[in-house]
Amino acid sequence: MQKQGYWGYIFTLPFVINVVVFLLFPILFSTYISFTEWDLFNPPRWIGLDNWVRVLNKHEFWVSIRNVFVFALIFVPIQTLMAFVIAFMLNQAIRAKGLFRLFYFLPVVTPWIAGGVVWVWMFNYQYGVINWVLESVGLAPVKWIDSSHWLMVISSIAIVQVWKGVGQSMIMILAGMQNVPKEVLEASQIDGANGWKQLTKVVFPMVTPMVYLVMILSTISAFQAFDVFLGLFGSITTGIPERNMVPNLLVYRDAFLLFKMGPASATAWLLFVIILSFTLFQKYFEKKWVHYD
Amino acid sequence: MSKKVKVISLMLAFMMMFTACSSSGGSTDEEVSPGEAEGSKEKVTLKIGLPGSYEVTSKEIIDGFIASHPHINVEIQEAPWGDFTSKIATQIAGNTMPDVWFQENATILSYGERGVAEDLSSYIESDLKADEYIDGLFSAKTPEGKIWGVPHGINPIALAYNQDVFEKAGVPVPTDDWTFDDLIEASKQLTIKEGDQTSQFGFIGSFSITNGWFPWIKQAGGSALDDTLTKSRFDDPKTAAGLQQLYDGLDQGYFADIDYLKANGGELEVFASGKAAMYFLQYSLQVNMNESFADTNWDVVKIPKGVDGKRYVPMVANTWLVSSRAKQESKDAAWEFLKYYLGDEVQDIIVKTGSTLPVKKSALDQLKDSTTKPLNKAAFTDGINEGGVTLDENATWSEWRILVQQVVNEIMVGNVSVEDGVKDIHAKVQDVLDSGK
Repeated sequence: MQKQGYWGYIFTLPFVINVVVFLLFPILFSTYISFTEWDLFNPPRWIGLDNWVRVLNKHEFWVSIRNVFVFALIFVPIQTLMAFVIAFMLNQAIRAKGLFRLFYFLPVVTPWIAGGVVWVWMFNYQYGVINWVLESVGLAPVKWIDSSHWLMVISSIAIVQVWKGVGQSMIMILAGMQNVPKEVLEASQIDGANGWKQLTKVVFPMVTPMVYLVMILSTISAFQAFDVFLGLFGSITTGIPERNMVPNLLVYRDAFLLFKMGPASATAWLLFVIILSFTLFQKYFEKKWVHYD
Repeated sequence: MSKKVKVISLMLAFMMMFTACSSSGGSTDEEVSPGEAEGSKEKVTLKIGLPGSYEVTSKEIIDGFIASHPHINVEIQEAPWGDFTSKIATQIAGNTMPDVWFQENATILSYGERGVAEDLSSYIESDLKADEYIDGLFSAKTPEGKIWGVPHGINPIALAYNQDVFEKAGVPVPTDDWTFDDLIEASKQLTIKEGDQTSQFGFIGSFSITNGWFPWIKQAGGSALDDTLTKSRFDDPKTAAGLQQLYDGLDQGYFADIDYLKANGGELEVFASGKAAMYFLQYSLQVNMNESFADTNWDVVKIPKGVDGKRYVPMVANTWLVSSRAKQESKDAAWEFLKYYLGDEVQDIIVKTGSTLPVKKSALDQLKDSTTKPLNKAAFTDGINEGGVTLDENATWSEWRILVQQVVNEIMVGNVSVEDGVKDIHAKVQDVLDSGK
């Protein structure tokens, strides 16, 4: 037994090293550099809380927090609802089920660089296909991502993120739905539950753990939104307007374009605190609607 | 318990091995450099960083240097343009950067400020005759007189025009005497509207810095920063006036806007196909024009004159710098390389590639006999002699330029008025300049 334990440690060692070197150390180091002035080129200089104060006093930081909150508020419910509905549809006895599943999952494996280009074109004010459709039914064209109203831009981008992420969430919920025993559904049918009732009273309660998981993961991915913004705006150096910024763009800009590691680390940590509080908030309500039995 | 201790110590040993492996990579690199321990007869190793590889710097140049300097052992470190900045930053952080490499001039200035670039003023003073070179040689000079690098080449802009479009419209082609008002007037004449759609624009209204907002504010008498490069001049009404002219052109539809450019294949395609009659073209883009649009009938004249009758020709430079942390032998070898680079042989090669203008006057003279398009290369060479200006580059350029671009984009698509925009820019730029001090 003892010997087995010994080998256990040996076999887990690569993973432990990985965690220590690529997770634990960067976490501790970024905490340290958030209290320093460090440009990568010269040794870090301790400046106490300066970075934190500076970041918290910056208008763009609060704009980015506002944006990411609204982004999450739009993205998470739409994505979860759509993933649930699509999963329910694909769980039925329909033809070419596999093809549909592939169709919904395709955006997940599409690289952002390609997805971004396509969406930028679809959103184009003058030449985009979405405005073309709107105009052909007599509606006015909309400035989707060029709008001067940040809410419009953030909402448009949230839709793109749904396009990208709904496939993955759908697969998770679908997996949950396939575990719903046929007998239960049949029994509910005999008791007179059909369609909507079956969905809300039988299927939904049984897949709530999956729905909850999807919500948590979507929330985290919403707060970490980065490539969707970069994909749609091109590049930071070409000038993403301040009103459309999100925290990860600020972190990237400060760290890798301006070599201001201190403010970048402080921003990243503030974002972490926000994601953690939001997740704990969701966790608090977990017991009220998630059924594990 | 003792087993546990054993296991933990074994884990620690593995980790130490791991970290030792990673750091040993760095130290061998350093040891490779000049072989001081082995004695002075040992070859000096010179590590040259090449962003964009030989697409930008001809291989001929490096091979020529290796052949003519047998005592220097050259090691090339290549990386694509896009990745080079992050690669070099990581290398600098780990102290494993090359001994000499080139990047955008503005980046070099910030490296100088951070103590990574060697001040080359004394090298230049002792080994080069400044009057053999154009002023661009000193693109990386600070107001304090330090020179953080020497140019790989200068890339100015000129006014390119599509001759066929002008002939068809019966409008006289641009001349070196044009002012920006002439440009605007001709743009209006050359614009063809068919109902709601415009099938031909007079000019490409780019709003990027070099061929967009910067020449527009300069010609109007404005500027981004003052002469000391420490004060924002976005509060100057002349700066706003320049931006307003660019905006008006886009808003009133005689300048091609960004959506049109995107939908029609980009700036070069739009210009080459005659969908826009004029364009502020950077010198290096002539290579792409000749490769992709060989049949287009086009030429260039100097950038039009500004309101004060003077000409301002924005130019960007990519600059070679020598690492200040390299060993003295490597620094000397790097300077040998740069001297070779600035010599006749290499400057002639640079002229032939057409990817950038050389900085040596004798090499520039050869362009007069060039038969490739654009024929009037003097528009570039005389242009920089007459009014070559850098983009108000200083150590904080990368930072304030992003902030300016954010707001300029907003102004040009009509989301923010010029008046409000410049106020916003002024505050932000001054903030960056002050924090950089």
